[in-house]
Amino acid sequence: MDDRETMTETLCAMLARRGFGRRSLLQFAIAMTSSLALPPSVAPVMAANLAKAKRRSVIWLSFQECTGCLETLLRSSSPTIDSLIFDFISLDYQEALMAAAGDAAERTLREAVAANKGQYLLAIDGSIPIKDGGVYSLTGGRSNVEMLAEIATNARAVLAIGTCAAYGGIPKAYPNPTGAVGVDDLVSGKPIVNIPGCPPVPEVLSGVLVHFISFGRLPDLDDRKRPLAYFGTTIHDQCYRRPFYDQGKFAKSFDDAGARQGWCLFELGCKGPTTHNACASLKWNGGASFPIESGHGCLGCSEPDFWDAGGFYTPLAGGSPPGWRNAGIAAAVGVAAGAAAALAARGRAASARHKAGPSPEETP
Amino acid sequence: MTLLAFARGPALQAALLIMIAGIFWRLAGIFLLPPRAQHAAPRHSLAGRIGGGALMIVSRFIPHHTFWPRVAMSVVLSTTFHLGLAIILLGGAPHILLIHQVTGLTWPGLPKGLIVISSGLTLASMIVLLIRRITHPVLRMLSTVDDYLSWLLVFLPVLTGILLAGETIGGYGTLLALHILSVELMMVWLPFGKLMHGALVFAGRWGMGMNFARKGAAT
Amino acid sequence: MSSDAKAAAPPAEVPNAGQVAAAVRGFIADIGPTVALALSSCVHCGRCAEACQFYVQTGDPRYTPIHKVEPFRRAYEREVGPFAFAYRLLGLAPKITPDELARWQELIYDSCNMCGRCSLICPMGIDIAELVERARHGMFAAGLAAADFLGVLAEKEHATGSPFGLVRSQFEDMLHAVGRDHGVVMNVDKGTADIVPTVSSIDVKMYPASMAAIAKVLNHMGASWTFRTDGFDADNVSLTAGDRAGQRKITLGIVKAALACDANTVVMPECGHSFTEMRWEAANAFGEALPFRVLQITELIAEGLSVGRIRVNKVPHSATYHDACQLSRRGGATAAPRVILEALGVELHEMEDAGATNWCCGGGGGVALIKRAQPLMDKAFEIKQRQIEVTGVATIYTSCSGCRQTLEHGGKARNWNKTVASLLELVADNLKD
Repeated sequence: MDDRETMTETLCAMLARRGFGRRSLLQFAIAMTSSLALPPSVAPVMAANLAKAKRRSVIWLSFQECTGCLETLLRSSSPTIDSLIFDFISLDYQEALMAAAGDAAERTLREAVAANKGQYLLAIDGSIPIKDGGVYSLTGGRSNVEMLAEIATNARAVLAIGTCAAYGGIPKAYPNPTGAVGVDDLVSGKPIVNIPGCPPVPEVLSGVLVHFISFGRLPDLDDRKRPLAYFGTTIHDQCYRRPFYDQGKFAKSFDDAGARQGWCLFELGCKGPTTHNACASLKWNGGASFPIESGHGCLGCSEPDFWDAGGFYTPLAGGSPPGWRNAGIAAAVGVAAGAAAALAARGRAASARHKAGPSPEETP
Repeated sequence: MTLLAFARGPALQAALLIMIAGIFWRLAGIFLLPPRAQHAAPRHSLAGRIGGGALMIVSRFIPHHTFWPRVAMSVVLSTTFHLGLAIILLGGAPHILLIHQVTGLTWPGLPKGLIVISSGLTLASMIVLLIRRITHPVLRMLSTVDDYLSWLLVFLPVLTGILLAGETIGGYGTLLALHILSVELMMVWLPFGKLMHGALVFAGRWGMGMNFARKGAAT
Repeated sequence: MSSDAKAAAPPAEVPNAGQVAAAVRGFIADIGPTVALALSSCVHCGRCAEACQFYVQTGDPRYTPIHKVEPFRRAYEREVGPFAFAYRLLGLAPKITPDELARWQELIYDSCNMCGRCSLICPMGIDIAELVERARHGMFAAGLAAADFLGVLAEKEHATGSPFGLVRSQFEDMLHAVGRDHGVVMNVDKGTADIVPTVSSIDVKMYPASMAAIAKVLNHMGASWTFRTDGFDADNVSLTAGDRAGQRKITLGIVKAALACDANTVVMPECGHSFTEMRWEAANAFGEALPFRVLQITELIAEGLSVGRIRVNKVPHSATYHDACQLSRRGGATAAPRVILEALGVELHEMEDAGATNWCCGGGGGVALIKRAQPLMDKAFEIKQRQIEVTGVATIYTSCSGCRQTLEHGGKARNWNKTVASLLELVADNLKD
C-alpha cells in the first residue's frame, strides 16, 4: 500500500487490515465512551464516526523536555486499538521518531504545516524557556518560543502534553534558571488542551484523540483546560486505599506494619487529595498498577508547581515552615523591638514623674 | 504559584515569622518594664509561692462557688469552645502531623468522627458566644473591633477545617488552601489583639498566683 | 433601677487640658511588668461584672470593673505599651478627653470598693482591684479625686498626718481620756516597747472604746507596748484617694515610730486598707524588709489564744461574722477571726459565701466617704442585708471599723433590730483575769 492510499484510508479500513473487525471497533467505542464519561448512547455514534474517520495530521514539537512523555505514549504492551490510534494519526512531524533530520526535517515541518493549514493538531511536550531570548532551547538555531508562535498560528488546536508543556513542569522548578513556562502562558486565541502528568497516562491522550477524531471537536475541559473525563476527580477520590484514610489507618514509614498492610500513604506525603488525574482508575502499564498501589505516595505530578510544593514526603498537612534559625531571628527581632519599646516607655515614665514635680519622698 | 503552594510556602513562612516576632515583641515590651521590688515578709516560702503560681493556672478554670449562678453560662460556653478547639488541634491527625514535622513529637490521634463532633460543638459554642457578645449589655459595651475580628479569625479555620474533613463541599485543594490561609491570617493578627491571651493567660495567672500566695490571699 | 444610681452621681467638674495631661502622667508614672500585663490581658469576657456588687445590684454595665480603668489602659497602650508608637500613629487608643475623665471619676471612686471580688474571678489573672488603686493615682494627680469627705480628708491627712487634722498633743490627751473613761492603763510615747499598736481615724471619731480594747488586750498579755503619737493613725485615707505622696507619708511615719522604740511588732487596728498598706506595702515604701512584724489585731489575738498568752471566758451566743475584704480576701487573715470566735464559744452561723469570697459591705475603699455615692452604696448593701437575714442571727461581728460603720448605717436605714459589734471589743470585754 503506498503513502497516498494510507493517507486517505479510513480507520475502519486500517483496522480491518490489522485484523480488527467492526465488532471490535464497537467494543472499543463502548470502552472509550465510558472512559470519556460520555453517555452510553454515544458509543454507536462514536463507532460509526470512527469507522468513517480519515487520518488527522498531528505535528508534534518537542521543546524543553526529557522525552518521557513520548516514551510513555509509545509503550504498548500489546497491540491494542489504543496504540493503533497513534498509528492512525498522521504524525507528520516528530523529531525523535522521524527518520529525517536537519534540513530535511525542517522541510518536512514546513510542508506539513502548509498541507494541513488550519487542520492539524499541534502537540507540544516540554516547557518553553523564555529567558534571555529563549536561547536555552533551540532547534536548528530557532528558539522554542519562535517555533511555537509560528506553528501554533495555523493549528486547529494545541495539545500540551505532559506537565512541562501544560504548566512548565520540572524546568520551572525553583529557581527556574531558563524562565520555563507552559503553552498556555504563550499561546492565545487557540483551543488548548492540557494533558498533564509526569508523564501523562497514555490512555488520556488516546481518549482525547478519539474524541477529536469521532466528533471533530475537543472534549469538555476543566478550569485548567484538562479533559474533565480524566481530570475531573482526584486520585484521592478514586484511590482503593481510601477506606484506610477514612478509618485513620496511615502508614508511618515506608515498609512499616501499616505500609505492608496497604494503609493510606497520606502521612508519607501522598498528594492524592489535591491531584487530579486518572491514575487511580486507569492505572499504568495497561492497568497493572499505579504509584500508591506500589507503596509510594502520589507526587501530584499532574498539578502545577508539583516540584515546588514543599516536598514529596511532606504531607499535605505540613508545609514549608521557616526553620528554627529564621524563627530564632524573628524572635530576636521581636525582643529587640520590645526592648526598644520598653526603653522608650521607661523614658516616658521617668519624664512623667519628673514633670509631676520632684518629691523627696517619691520612690524612683 | 497555586494558591495552595502559596499557603503552604511563602505565606506560612511570613505568617509564622510575623507571629513569632510579634509575640516576642509584645512580651518583651511588657516584661522589660522596671519591676517593683517586694520587700514585705511573705506568708509562704518561695516553694509555696511557686506552687501557688502553678496552682492558679489550673484553678482559675473553675470559678468559686460564690460566682457560679451568674457566670455558669459564660464558663460552660467558653470551656466548650476551648476544649473543643484543643481536641481538634491536639487530637486531629493532620495537626499532629504538622507538629511532628516541626518538632519531631507525635502521639496517636483521635478518630475522625470525634474530631467532627468536637468541631461541631466548637462552632456551635462560638456562634452562641457571638450572639451573647452582641446582646449582653456588658459585653456589647466592652467589645471592640478586636473582639469581633478575633472571633472571625478563629471561626474561619474551624469552619474550613470541618468542611475539609467532611470532604463533601468544595474541592479538597481549594479548601485546604483556604483553611491554611485562614490560620495564617489568625497567626498574623495574634500578637496584636486579644488572641495573645493564649500566651498572656499563663503569665497572668502565674503572677497573680505567686502574688496572692505571698499574701495568703484568696485565690 | 440604674437611674437612681446615675442620677445620684453628678459628673465631676470637667478638667482642663493641663489636668488631663497630669492624669496621664499619673497613670504612666509607675507601670511595671505586673500592671502592664494586667492592662494587656483583658479578653472582654464580662465575668468581672458578675462579681461586682455595684453591677449586680444595678445592672448598669458601666460598673463593669475592668471598664472602670479604661482611661488607665488607654494611657498605657498609647504612652508606654509595646506598640505605643503604632497606637499613636494609627490612632488606635484615642487621647483621653476631659469629658471622659470627668465621667470616669464616678466609676473609679464612687463605684469601687477595691474589694477584689473581680480580681478573684478574672480568668486572665488580672488584679483589677489593684488597677483601680493605681488609676486613682492619675485621677488624684489631675485633681479629680472624688470631692466630698474623701478629698477633704485626704488633703488634711497629707498636710497633718491625720484626716481630722489632729496633732500629736491632741492624740495624747484623747488617749489618756479614753484610758480614764474605760479604766485602762494607756502607754503613750514610751521610749522602748516590743509592740506598737495603731488605730484608725474611724475609731478615733466613732468607736473610742476600741482604743481602750487594744490596751486591755495588750495589758492582759503582759506585753511591753506603747501607742506612739508620731505614728498613730493608720487609716491612710490618702491611699483610697490616690495620693501616693500622702500614702507614703503616713506609712513611713508609723514605720519610723516603730523603729524609734525598737518595736518587734506593729499591730494594725480593726481596719481594712490600713492592714493591706502596712502589711504588704510599707516595706516597699521603706525600701527594704521591715525589721518588725505587722499583725492585724485579730491575728495578734488568735496567736495569743493559741499559745495561751490570752485567755477568754466563754460567752455562748449566736452570731455571724462579716469578713472585711482587705483583711480576708486580699490580706490572708481569714482564719484568725474564726479562731477567736470559737475560743469565745460563739455559735457562728456563717453567711453564704462567708470567708474569703464574701461580698463587700459596699463602704470600703473610700466609698463611704463620698456623699453622692450613698444611693449606690445602699443598693450594694442589699446583698449584705440578704446574707445576714438568711443566717437568722441578730448579731454581726466584724473586724473593720469601716465595715462596722457601713453595716450600722445600712441597718439603721432599714430599721433592723440587729447589732453590729467589734470582735476586738468582744475579746476585750471577756478577758479571763
